[in-house]
Amino acid sequence: MTDLIFDRRNMFKSLLAISAASALAACGGAEVSPSESSSDGPAERAETGGFFGPEELALISALADTIIPATDTAGAVAAGVPDTVQSLATDWGDDAFRTYWRNGLTALGSALNTHVGGDFVSADEDQRLAALTAHDASVFDGDIQDRFYRDFKATVVQAYYMSEPGATEELAYEPVPGEWIGCVPLADFPKTWAT
Amino acid sequence: MSGGWVAKELCEQGFKVAVIERGRAVSPQKDYTDFINPWDAEHLNRKTDQDRKDHPIQSNVYAFQTYTRQFWVNDNDHPYETAEGTEFRWYRGYHEGGRSIMWGRQSYRMSEIDFEANQKDGHGVDWPVRYADLKPWYDHVERFAGISGSMEGLDILPDGVFQPPHDLTCAELDFRDAVESTFPGRRVIPGRVANLTEPTQEQIELGRGKCMARNHCFQGCSFGAYFSSNSATLPAARRTGNFTLIPDRAVHKVIVDESTGRATGVETVDVNTGEKIVVTARVVFLNAGTIPSTMILMNSATSAAPNGLANSSGQLGKNMMDHHSGARGSAILPGHLDKHTFGRRPNGFYIPRFRNHTEEAEGFVRGFGYQGGAMRERWWSAMGKKGVGAELKSETQSPGPWRIGMVAFGEVLPNEKNHIRLHANKTDKWGFPVPVLDVAWGDNERNMVRQAIKDTRAMLEAAGGIDIQTDDPETAEPAPPGIGIHEMGTARMGRDPSTSVLNEWNQAWDIPNLFVTDGSFMTSGGCQNPSLTYMAFSARAANHAAELLKEGAL
Repeated sequence: MTDLIFDRRNMFKSLLAISAASALAACGGAEVSPSESSSDGPAERAETGGFFGPEELALISALADTIIPATDTAGAVAAGVPDTVQSLATDWGDDAFRTYWRNGLTALGSALNTHVGGDFVSADEDQRLAALTAHDASVFDGDIQDRFYRDFKATVVQAYYMSEPGATEELAYEPVPGEWIGCVPLADFPKTWAT
Repeated sequence: MSGGWVAKELCEQGFKVAVIERGRAVSPQKDYTDFINPWDAEHLNRKTDQDRKDHPIQSNVYAFQTYTRQFWVNDNDHPYETAEGTEFRWYRGYHEGGRSIMWGRQSYRMSEIDFEANQKDGHGVDWPVRYADLKPWYDHVERFAGISGSMEGLDILPDGVFQPPHDLTCAELDFRDAVESTFPGRRVIPGRVANLTEPTQEQIELGRGKCMARNHCFQGCSFGAYFSSNSATLPAARRTGNFTLIPDRAVHKVIVDESTGRATGVETVDVNTGEKIVVTARVVFLNAGTIPSTMILMNSATSAAPNGLANSSGQLGKNMMDHHSGARGSAILPGHLDKHTFGRRPNGFYIPRFRNHTEEAEGFVRGFGYQGGAMRERWWSAMGKKGVGAELKSETQSPGPWRIGMVAFGEVLPNEKNHIRLHANKTDKWGFPVPVLDVAWGDNERNMVRQAIKDTRAMLEAAGGIDIQTDDPETAEPAPPGIGIHEMGTARMGRDPSTSVLNEWNQAWDIPNLFVTDGSFMTSGGCQNPSLTYMAFSARAANHAAELLKEGAL
């Protein structure tokens, strides 16, 4: 019920329910009402195979797998996170959302290229991790403002832990627990519950 | 919620009952979505622009998800207006079972203190009943519905017929100990909730099973483990052979024979074809929900009752209440990092009212109770914190600290100024007048919210809370009316036909065979979640009507 209370009383921004328009507003973009914003339909874009092109997808994948790499469980790419991001932009978001993501990715890619002193996507894993760790720290320590990076990271994290490998292999998921026990040793159930 | 109870009781007493439902019939196979996994939801379960277009109001409610939108009205089809300078969030679903599918299921009795409140402090009119009148009916509905809870012996929150309670978590037990030792007049108890923890034979026979601790009740429950009209009262009514559901039919008017002064039935409109159909009956119960039932009576005005049916008192539509919220708090509770929880509790803790009871209050009458919970933080905290890579993943794989969240629900005073009326010329697409809601909270509610925030902080501090978050107690305002989703009071019951719409049996003073048992009858609101009280009054009124019918008095 804690989750419900937090949601119901809007204590925290609802994590799982953000419309394109409100996500944009939250990101400091222009206010765009939903009725004005969805000018082109999903079908139209489907012919081109999705909104993000191959270079953008390569950057999305490199970023996602750096934020959540493969370890003894799947990383973000193997869990399908780039597909989820592509589908959010292609079928869910509106034009303003797409523009915000495209511009945001371009800027983020440039910043990271500067960090690695070359091309972030083709850099090796260690270089990518070092670059992203530095960028992440300067954003979360408040040294630089980068709302897009915060949104991107939140989306990757959410998409990963809501994916089947993220929920069932990395975390623990019980679709039908059968009972509630209020206090158990962590040793018996050491992993974070996915839901 | 309440209509199912009336149907069950009257069917079981041997009467033929037609339940007229303005929405569709609900089928668990088609409408319930309780086996969706996180990865099954499209686009991370984010609401779409279409959701915002179709449900600009409903999509804000906590239980609106991409896979529960079928339970919330299309706001464009069901418009309402608010008076200038006021706000009202009206959350509702029109389908068989209504909001009993999506409700929060918290189930508390009102106490003698609540039934005496109006008389003692002079707000509103006196309730025509006292706790002793309701006690057997609370017993009756709890036994059938199945309420999980603990016996506490509190006069402010009477015990009932309970199935075993949900455990508090280890952090909640610490919080309880800290609160109860620091503030001897306060108690922290398991929430009382309409989820089966030990089903009775009667419940099992109705096809209901034990709660599986999944905590996504508002998606519908294929186990029938929480009380809804669909899982409990309507199946009980159906098995008598006396029950007929008439879906997709909106009631627009109660028809009255002016020569006898009795209701003869209702005028309905087929929501798909617009066809008008009259349904006749010996007795009419209105259970459309507080605002719709009140509107139906207003729309049933006749030359003999020009201001609305059953409105000789002039009170119809007035005294709208809700429970005001707005006093929220959250903190990290230290310790217990070697402990965890198992399952997902569809419940939390409850702190019964203590202000103007065990503790005094300044600047307001009545009081508030809290709902809350303390659980270990999960992966969502990783969405907004520093760190990437294997380290972030590894940190997230272990649960975070225990975080407590709580919110106060406060009593709203009955006040004639808070009213609803029919729009002079706007109608919905079926020709029914659009309601205008004119409701605003006053000083009593504001002062109460601010005290509740101070009390929240004090309790979180007493429990050693870290990172305590609340609104500013000097400037906070109650959340707007409607947000509590407990709208009630617009056809109040009372002792005097000149100041109330209904008598002590939920029976219209003016029309003896007309009853109203949804939230509109409430004379005052208490601070408890009201649905259990609607159930008890509904069962009581239905049995009273059955007696009158059997005696030939109706």
